[in-house]
Amino acid sequence: MGLVERDKVRELMGEVMKAQGRTLPSDDAADLREIGFRSLDFSELALRVEDELGDELNFDAPGLRRITTVGDVLDFIEQLQTA
Amino acid sequence: MSDSTVVPPASVVLVSGGSRGLGLAIVTDLLASGLKVAAFARTVTPELTALGEKYPEHLHYGSVDINDPKAGQDFVKEVEAKLGPIDGLVNNAAVGQDSLHVHTSADQVAAIIQTNLTSPLVLTRFVLRRMLAKGLKGRIVNVTSICAQRGYPGLVAYSATKGGMDSATRSLARELGGRVLANSVAPGFFASEMSAVLGQTQLDQIVRRTPTGHLTEPDEVVPVVRMLLLDNTNINGQVLVVDGAASI
Repeated sequence: MGLVERDKVRELMGEVMKAQGRTLPSDDAADLREIGFRSLDFSELALRVEDELGDELNFDAPGLRRITTVGDVLDFIEQLQTA
Repeated sequence: MSDSTVVPPASVVLVSGGSRGLGLAIVTDLLASGLKVAAFARTVTPELTALGEKYPEHLHYGSVDINDPKAGQDFVKEVEAKLGPIDGLVNNAAVGQDSLHVHTSADQVAAIIQTNLTSPLVLTRFVLRRMLAKGLKGRIVNVTSICAQRGYPGLVAYSATKGGMDSATRSLARELGGRVLANSVAPGFFASEMSAVLGQTQLDQIVRRTPTGHLTEPDEVVPVVRMLLLDNTNINGQVLVVDGAASI
């Protein structure tokens, strides 16, 4: 399985937010609740990454609950791909 | 009321998933009530072993994967040889889920359905065949979940299996024409075990919305299971929810 690079994942995350009329801040420390990035947005992002990968990234929910920042999202997607 | 319509109390009860949590609590309670009990689980715990030492003549237990029908059938025959014919079945074994449906692999969905729905139905079929062939009456209790009636995120396949078991319960009650009383007990979320899937925020929310002010404990479910196995109530084909009215 290839790897979707962190910058590409950030770009895809920006697309998810743009589709909802919002903008992804450049700061990785940005709080997801403050920028309005919800769990279903994360699902949409994960599915977009899957499209790029050509493979599924299935995962349990507890990991999701620890995600609070943009950087956490990018880290989690990275971990999923290397797991 | 004629004797022909009365289903006597169960005397030999098989409990699947009886090594921990609610299953273990049910086994412990039934043994204390003087019944003969058979329990299996994938892994036999020290607690179940200790019960075996305490009730050597009344408890038969072993390591059986519910998804291995041959092993399950062999276990049933062992139970019959040691304790006598089974006239009570508690379908308790189940696996939980903690993943959004879109991020749950197809294999995982199939595994949940296999363990929580297909395998209990296959076990029920086998036990019923033995029961009916011997001319016995009996009782079935399916441990389901409030998830069968209310929606919770991360539990799509799990909820589907529990709803399936509730539906099967009603059809079994009809199909068995009063010879077997079939009911479901649907606990709300426990503070431990499978409710770890919800996360503390959701559990706190459920507690706030529960009139009794607390999550369900296994000890609160056990008497309901015992009643359905032992008491003469004419309850049949029902789902009894034990959740402190959280879901109403």
